[in-house]
Amino acid sequence: MASFHRPKTTQEAIALLAMPGARLLAGGASLVAMMNAGLLTPEAIVSLKDIEALRGISVFADGSVRIGAMTRHRETAENRELHGCFDCLRMAAGGIANPVVRNMGTMGGSVSLADPGADYPAALVALGAMVELEGPTGRRRIPARKFFVDWYATAAQPQEMLTSVVLPSVGPGVGYYRKLTRVTGDFAIVSVALCLTDAGGVSIAIGGCGPGPIFSDEANALIAQRPGDTGSILKAGEILAKLADPVDDVRASADYRRLVIPRLLASAFSIVHENWKSAA
Amino acid sequence: MTMQCVLLINGSTYRAEIAAEDTLLTLVRDVAGLKGSKLGCNQGVCGACTVLVGGWPVRACLTLAADCTDADIVTVEGLERDTIGVRLQRAFGECGAVQCGFCIPGMLMSARALLDKNPAPSLDQIRIGLSGNLCRCSGYRKIVDAVRLAATENAA
Amino acid sequence: MNAAALQVGRRLPRLEADQKLSGRARYTADLDLHGMLHGAILGSPHAHARIVRYNISKALAAPGVVAVVTGADCPDGKMGPFIKDEHAIAKGKVRFVGEPVAAVAAATPAQARHGCALIEIDYQELPAVLDPAQALEEGAPLIHDGLAGYEKIYDAGSSGNKCCRTVIEQGDLAAAWRKCDVVLDQEYRTQPQAHLSMEPCAALADIDPAGRVTLWSANQSVFRVQANVCECLQLPMSRLRCLTPHVGGGFGNKMEAHVQPIVVMLAIKSGRPVKLVLSREEDFEIVRGGHPFRFRVKTGAKKDGTLVAREVDVLIDGGAYADDSPGVLAFALRMSCGPYRFMAAKAQGAVAYTNKLRFGAFRGFGQPQIHFGCEQQIDQIAVALGIDPLEFRRCNALRPGETWFGGQSVASNGLKECIDKVEIESGWRRRSALVASPGKKRGMGMGTTAHISALLGTGAIVRMLEDGTIVLNTGATDIGQGSDTVLAQMCAQTLAIDVAKVAVASPDTDGSPYNWGTTASRVTYTTGRSVVAATGEVLRQAKDHASEMLECGVADLELRPGGKIGVKGASGLEVTFQAISRRAHWRSGGPLVGSHTWVYSQDTVDPKRATAIGNPARSGVFSFGALVVDVEIEEATGKVEVLRAWSAVDVGRAINPQAVEGQIEGAFVQGMGFALTEEMVWDGARLSNPTMMDYKAPTSADTPYEINSYIVEAPEPDGPYGAKGAGEIGMNAVAAAIANAVSAATGVRLNSLPLTPERVLRALMEHGE
Repeated sequence: MASFHRPKTTQEAIALLAMPGARLLAGGASLVAMMNAGLLTPEAIVSLKDIEALRGISVFADGSVRIGAMTRHRETAENRELHGCFDCLRMAAGGIANPVVRNMGTMGGSVSLADPGADYPAALVALGAMVELEGPTGRRRIPARKFFVDWYATAAQPQEMLTSVVLPSVGPGVGYYRKLTRVTGDFAIVSVALCLTDAGGVSIAIGGCGPGPIFSDEANALIAQRPGDTGSILKAGEILAKLADPVDDVRASADYRRLVIPRLLASAFSIVHENWKSAA
Repeated sequence: MTMQCVLLINGSTYRAEIAAEDTLLTLVRDVAGLKGSKLGCNQGVCGACTVLVGGWPVRACLTLAADCTDADIVTVEGLERDTIGVRLQRAFGECGAVQCGFCIPGMLMSARALLDKNPAPSLDQIRIGLSGNLCRCSGYRKIVDAVRLAATENAA
Repeated sequence: MNAAALQVGRRLPRLEADQKLSGRARYTADLDLHGMLHGAILGSPHAHARIVRYNISKALAAPGVVAVVTGADCPDGKMGPFIKDEHAIAKGKVRFVGEPVAAVAAATPAQARHGCALIEIDYQELPAVLDPAQALEEGAPLIHDGLAGYEKIYDAGSSGNKCCRTVIEQGDLAAAWRKCDVVLDQEYRTQPQAHLSMEPCAALADIDPAGRVTLWSANQSVFRVQANVCECLQLPMSRLRCLTPHVGGGFGNKMEAHVQPIVVMLAIKSGRPVKLVLSREEDFEIVRGGHPFRFRVKTGAKKDGTLVAREVDVLIDGGAYADDSPGVLAFALRMSCGPYRFMAAKAQGAVAYTNKLRFGAFRGFGQPQIHFGCEQQIDQIAVALGIDPLEFRRCNALRPGETWFGGQSVASNGLKECIDKVEIESGWRRRSALVASPGKKRGMGMGTTAHISALLGTGAIVRMLEDGTIVLNTGATDIGQGSDTVLAQMCAQTLAIDVAKVAVASPDTDGSPYNWGTTASRVTYTTGRSVVAATGEVLRQAKDHASEMLECGVADLELRPGGKIGVKGASGLEVTFQAISRRAHWRSGGPLVGSHTWVYSQDTVDPKRATAIGNPARSGVFSFGALVVDVEIEEATGKVEVLRAWSAVDVGRAINPQAVEGQIEGAFVQGMGFALTEEMVWDGARLSNPTMMDYKAPTSADTPYEINSYIVEAPEPDGPYGAKGAGEIGMNAVAAAIANAVSAATGVRLNSLPLTPERVLRALMEHGE
């Protein structure tokens, strides 16, 4: 039977993480589900519920946003400050699982798990987000692009915990997220995250098609050079499809995922077209 | 290693020796003896275990009891203390939304929370608001009708 | 009788609604008995193996463990509704991955699971066969070596891995084909579907010092539980009492045995009450699923739009045990002509054993599968002949008085009204004006169907209590579909009292009359007839008393609303049920009791018109239905979405219209899941998606609000108040109608289910979009 702890500060939590078999409890949506299924038997459970510093969404003067690790998906989905390009993350949060689980799951818990079918990774990569980690040796930031290392594996060290996610300011623009699923709230077959700035910036990430989000500077540049051009969008989609490394699973085949990436990308662009000033 | 746990459920206090791994669902059903909340999948997908914690609907099967020591928990058995809850129950009955009944406790809790946050939901908002509660019997239509009826009565 | 007394036709909430709404309704998992142990099951790791040796010593020594049972503890008794091929627990051999091979009873569920993990079993692995066609090939590994010697209740034609076969033929098929101007011949595949009742299977067995066992379980029939447990454990039925708590859905999953035999074994072995609740994963993996079908349909018609000939050839994967497969095969074949006139038809097929989870009863009983092929061909022929698909169906629809395939008479037939209703309500004639959302194609599709309601044995006992109120006992398990309420309404109507005065007894094999089960849409009609007859008998007895009390002839009496019998034309002259019942209890005649039992025995095949080999079905009384769906397909992804649906069902008489609508709506959504997203997927021998995370049924967000249900009433002459069944028919044509709509929208025909985005997109691309 495990021991249970409710630290009041991040430092306390990090110290407790050093215990053998210790696991952090954020929303419980993943941790407790795995415990119930007998896949995980932690020796110590460290609840992050009482740590003030991990909560809340803060908007800074420069337009950047910090989302605390314990922010529930519902809070992210309903936050009005996340507009413009940040809509991408808001839309991603709003489609996770269902309204009840969105009251439980957290930014930190979900991002740390790095499930390739989950929604935040692609959105964070498209937004050029930074992941803030804290460990016994101090704090550091890693770009989201470098954070999702492999299936359920991140660049966090064993005793580091994710404290927040930071969205750098990208200026005005339009953000979009869509995932293709079998039923509402399911993990993604393919997801598309777009961050399109009025200044002409294009940042796309594809989720559900590999160990981490698929991202291509070349694809981004192709579209940035000719905004709104359908040919460029499809070509960009094909580049992304070639970079993708999807698997066959119960949701869809790898072949289908590759096939659908350019099509879903084109569909996404056609939806945001009117709102994307660069394309006008 | 067990520990003392004090939970406030439906306005009553329950004390128990629990393990860290014990879920809120286990506490509600086996310690408090409140069998209304159901175990349907133990993975947080089906919604049969949905209860309110601090007014928000959550999965009792994915909530550790130890994490709830200062929380205000409401289960389906607590709905009778609440006007809107009673209206919902009556509306569900009248609209024919109850078939096998296994999804109903969780569905009522999600519906109760929905009406709290959105007292006049549209049909689409109801459908999406309840999308975390699976029902295999009803096809959802009469459940949506019931929530709409209760919302209309609330407004009156 | 004034309108206030009308109970039949009332939109009454479930009698037990308040219990369910307040969380007080007790399901099997909610029951606790003093001294109760908890059970857990150990499943086979192999798809096919001989069990060589058990070592349970470590398990027995584990903390909290009180008893361990294996196949060594159960006799050679075998159960099975058609072919008795299944032991209480794997004995001698295991036949699918996950098959229960041992079970433990311990003080806590965790200790029981821990005990299971300590059981050591030596297996000798055998080659497994997972594909039904391969299973039927010469030299395939034999799954049931003793098949020839198994008891069978009909001529199954079993041999090798062929579980059973059926052939039904009517008319001169060769001549019929020659008359056809257009012929379609295609193959179809449908996938295995999980029932996904919200309540996982569970059972609780208690044993008294004399060895009598009381068993509560999630079930669709306390009598099937009793028969199955006693047959495989070779106990006299009088030694087992089966009861029913509330049941959280069945859809066929709980009709035959699940963990009951094992739980009884544990109770007997330990001498203590034992409760076993399956996890969701186990509920997927070890109980039963809905059959996958592989079939060929051939349909022929004349250019004037007359249907002429049909041929169907079906191969069904039955899994490791026969279960209800023989019934599903025969029924699917018998219904494969649909509600149409054909000059000639032949329907044949077989069920093959495979080393997978058994497949069994599932709402529709083979019809959702068979319609997927048959109803698409109806559309295709109509389109090939340039005839509107609805008009084509209308012209060929079976008319009142005409017989079903095989020759069975059809007494009431509201098919025409169903077709008319959905035509008008859906705006079918204006469907070409439907506008699709950007990036999507849109279309309407339809299907028609029929289903049966009369099957096997049932009964009812009605008693008038001392104060004139009523107890109704039918032994029919209400699995959520509302039978308690509907039967109480019939009883109340017959006595002109309010349904609140009727108590419905919970099914109890000790006290209830036999009821085959809540399945096959049969309770309203089959049990309803007994209810009306038994209640009528109570009324007759009451009138006898009243005639003596009022000193007049029985013919001068009339039943008055509110529990009174009076003299016609003399409003002041009457006696209450209470007065009658008191007299009966204390003075004369004995307490009023009415009972009625019967078995539906009409043959389904008229030997003057048709021939049948291996046809165990004895079912009849037909309900009819018509369905139109409005569907959109996203061109980028192939994803299909149902926007609206109109489903009209002829139920003879809607005893409780709200309950009927609930069945139509719920069946539609279960059919929509079958059509679009649900599939049990095997990865080799292992079920790869036994979780709700991976097996997806529609949520409320995936389901349109506009599922419009319409009740048509073509009263069945001998139905209770004219009623027929409604539980399954709403599912039958859904997948076919959606496939027809997809074809109308895109020009693409799909012959495999489910219609996943991948399947649809590939077909769209091949078709050239």
